[in-house]
Amino acid sequence: MEDIVIAILRSATPLVYVTLAGVIAQRAGIWHLGLEGLMISGACATVLGIVLTGSIWAALFWAIAVCVAGSVLFWFVVEKLRANQIIAGLGLTGLGLGGTTLAVQSIFGTQAAVSAPFGLPRLGPAFGAYGSLSILVLLMPVLVLAVWVMLRRTRFGLRLAASGEHPFAARGVGVNPSAMRLAALVMGGALCALAGAELATGSLQIFAQNMTAGRGFMGFAAVIFGAGHPIGATLAALFFAIVGAIGIKAQLIFGDRIPHDLLLGLPYIATVLGIWVSTKLRGGTKAANGFAELRNE
Amino acid sequence: MMEDRSPIFECRDVTVRYGDITALADVGVTFERGMIHAVVGQNGAGKTTFARVLAGLVRPAAGSLKFSGRSHAGGSVNDARRAGVELVHQSFALPPSFTVAEAMQFGAEGGSLFTRSALERRWQPHLDSLDVKVKARQRIRDLPVEIQQGVEIARALVSEAKLLILDEPTAVLSPEGTEKLFERIRRLKARDVTVILILHKIREVLAIADTVTVLRGGRLVDGPLDCTEIDADRLAELIIGPAATRGLNADDKAALTGSATVAHAHIETSSARKNSVLEMRAVSTRADTEGPALDNVDLTISAGEIIGVAGVEGNGQRTLVRAISALVDVVDGTLAIGGDDVTGKQLAARRAAGLRIIPFERNVEGLSLSSSLWENWSARSLLQMPLLAAINPVTIQKRCAAALNRWDVHYANVAQRAGSLSGGNAQKVILSREMDEDARLILAAQPTRGLDIGATSFVWDAMRDAKARGCGLLFISSDLDEIFDISDRVVVMLSGRIVAEFRPPYDISAVGAAMTGVLK
Repeated sequence: MEDIVIAILRSATPLVYVTLAGVIAQRAGIWHLGLEGLMISGACATVLGIVLTGSIWAALFWAIAVCVAGSVLFWFVVEKLRANQIIAGLGLTGLGLGGTTLAVQSIFGTQAAVSAPFGLPRLGPAFGAYGSLSILVLLMPVLVLAVWVMLRRTRFGLRLAASGEHPFAARGVGVNPSAMRLAALVMGGALCALAGAELATGSLQIFAQNMTAGRGFMGFAAVIFGAGHPIGATLAALFFAIVGAIGIKAQLIFGDRIPHDLLLGLPYIATVLGIWVSTKLRGGTKAANGFAELRNE
Repeated sequence: MMEDRSPIFECRDVTVRYGDITALADVGVTFERGMIHAVVGQNGAGKTTFARVLAGLVRPAAGSLKFSGRSHAGGSVNDARRAGVELVHQSFALPPSFTVAEAMQFGAEGGSLFTRSALERRWQPHLDSLDVKVKARQRIRDLPVEIQQGVEIARALVSEAKLLILDEPTAVLSPEGTEKLFERIRRLKARDVTVILILHKIREVLAIADTVTVLRGGRLVDGPLDCTEIDADRLAELIIGPAATRGLNADDKAALTGSATVAHAHIETSSARKNSVLEMRAVSTRADTEGPALDNVDLTISAGEIIGVAGVEGNGQRTLVRAISALVDVVDGTLAIGGDDVTGKQLAARRAAGLRIIPFERNVEGLSLSSSLWENWSARSLLQMPLLAAINPVTIQKRCAAALNRWDVHYANVAQRAGSLSGGNAQKVILSREMDEDARLILAAQPTRGLDIGATSFVWDAMRDAKARGCGLLFISSDLDEIFDISDRVVVMLSGRIVAEFRPPYDISAVGAAMTGVLK
């Protein structure tokens, strides 16, 4: 049983971080499809940081710096150059996926996976069997709560939500919606960096091309599934992680009797089904309105 | 007791430009403290721009602003709010998903970290003190418009507002709602809040304001004038202007300015109205996100008749149009156009039967702004042609140009984008498409909204012409004066039902009572 819980926590943690980044952006009125690109940039920067500086803290600092820079670029393109959010987000994802490959190639002269001598600090023996998990796993519930408080229980959160839902209302009380979006994206950038760091160095200590494998998009799906609410989206992310863990377990049990690819695809199938169910539950209006707002941008 | 009559706001030579358009030109006025000031003018006169300059939402290209004797650069909401200036917008500006308490909190100061109940405890007394009958935990989207406006005003008063500006607050209200609003404003005046009301109707100005300032075409015509020293006719002249007054009959002029509620005794004499063009029998629809369901609606429109639909917005007017246009399913009852039952028919069949629609949202439903004029103009006839019929753009463009000229549209060429036209000209393009010879039933949904005087009277005349040709018209408007001016019969909608029907001469208080459900 423990090994399943550990596996779930391990795969859920990066997903929850990236989901929180998406939630904050969504609240501020940005459909963040650049999550995938930021996450892989964070993963790459962490591993390269460890290899090049020998310090996990310096590596984390670099990862956050890179992801925040990417977020500021995204904000600039969307807000100042008035580009379409979806296209710009996908562009950021492309930039992240391609840029990390290029970085590895130009530093090591090969596209092979880069491994780091050590990773994030572990919880340690005090946590028994869970001691092999990283400190970011423990930090996750704290951050979920913190994001919830910030978004739902502070004036900053109200102003952020107003900037996303009704920018004119925000302007009417002297809030600059564009600046609020920048704040949201910068916070999201830092969270994406942590997501990438946990993915790359929470257990494996390795960076490989395209290692996020769509987790950024799954995080975005969790945002929609959870209706943009931090707790709801976190639960959605956990659900996806659980399905993923079941997929792996099923592989071990059924072996060759069920096609391998089908089991690997389980989290993605669950994502699509989850979105479909959540739209049905809400009468399908929420997402539709969201897209209508997008067209008006 | 000495009253403080020093100016609370002064401006000199304020000019605002949006691109090539000058919205305000060299406006200079001074408003005294402790009074109710009205700012009036037609659509396009620059009233809303003026309000936004005061509130800091728009930075003037030139001119100076002074609040309580202190100069301001303008263009900063925070500066304006610090000076005690608050604006209540025409179309409400609170996020619909917020609770009332959250809506108060997000524009206020203090109490940065909160719980829901603490927030409700903080703001409920504020709402109560302003007599806004709402629970702080209710969501904005669930509130009826009159309450929502009360919440907006409460929002504007979370800090110590000294100057409260309301932009066309009466546009969404029933006559009774307007009366309640005015009482609320008088109470604010007693609390030493100076109020600037952007208004449209002379009747309302004279009922509430101490002074009136008239704008026309972005310029200051006169003001502030003492309301005790001006009468409705003089004010109407100032608002409309000498040039536009020519060619308007007295009733139209009164309807344009709301100077007096003329009973409009022009009872239809023609008795040849036998053929009904629309017959709705006990029509019901399902409720959806866009408005309440129709509930057992009976409505007959004869050829050569204009039926006005009065009602507070959001009481099923949009559903009515969508039900007749086959955009929402009729679950019960029957619907016939020109004598043919079209209950289960699609819009194309109904259009073929003579249905024409001037939709609510001119720029969304009425025109494709990114398409050319000729494409927009020909869309109706092209959609009625067989799928594979050949189209000859040159012929269409020629016919389009002829039609647009006939309808007095000001345009450069038929290939220009529809989005480049002004509101009045865009509406004329729609009229030229929808008010053709084959039209039998015309749905005119808010056809004059946002139009200036010339375009408004043009639309009215076009509707009267269509009526003279034997069309039946359904005319939906939130402006009772124009409804009374051109309708042969008026029905009142409330919560998806038709609750009353009136014939001329109309009694505004009876219609107003029906709109709010108080049947007299």
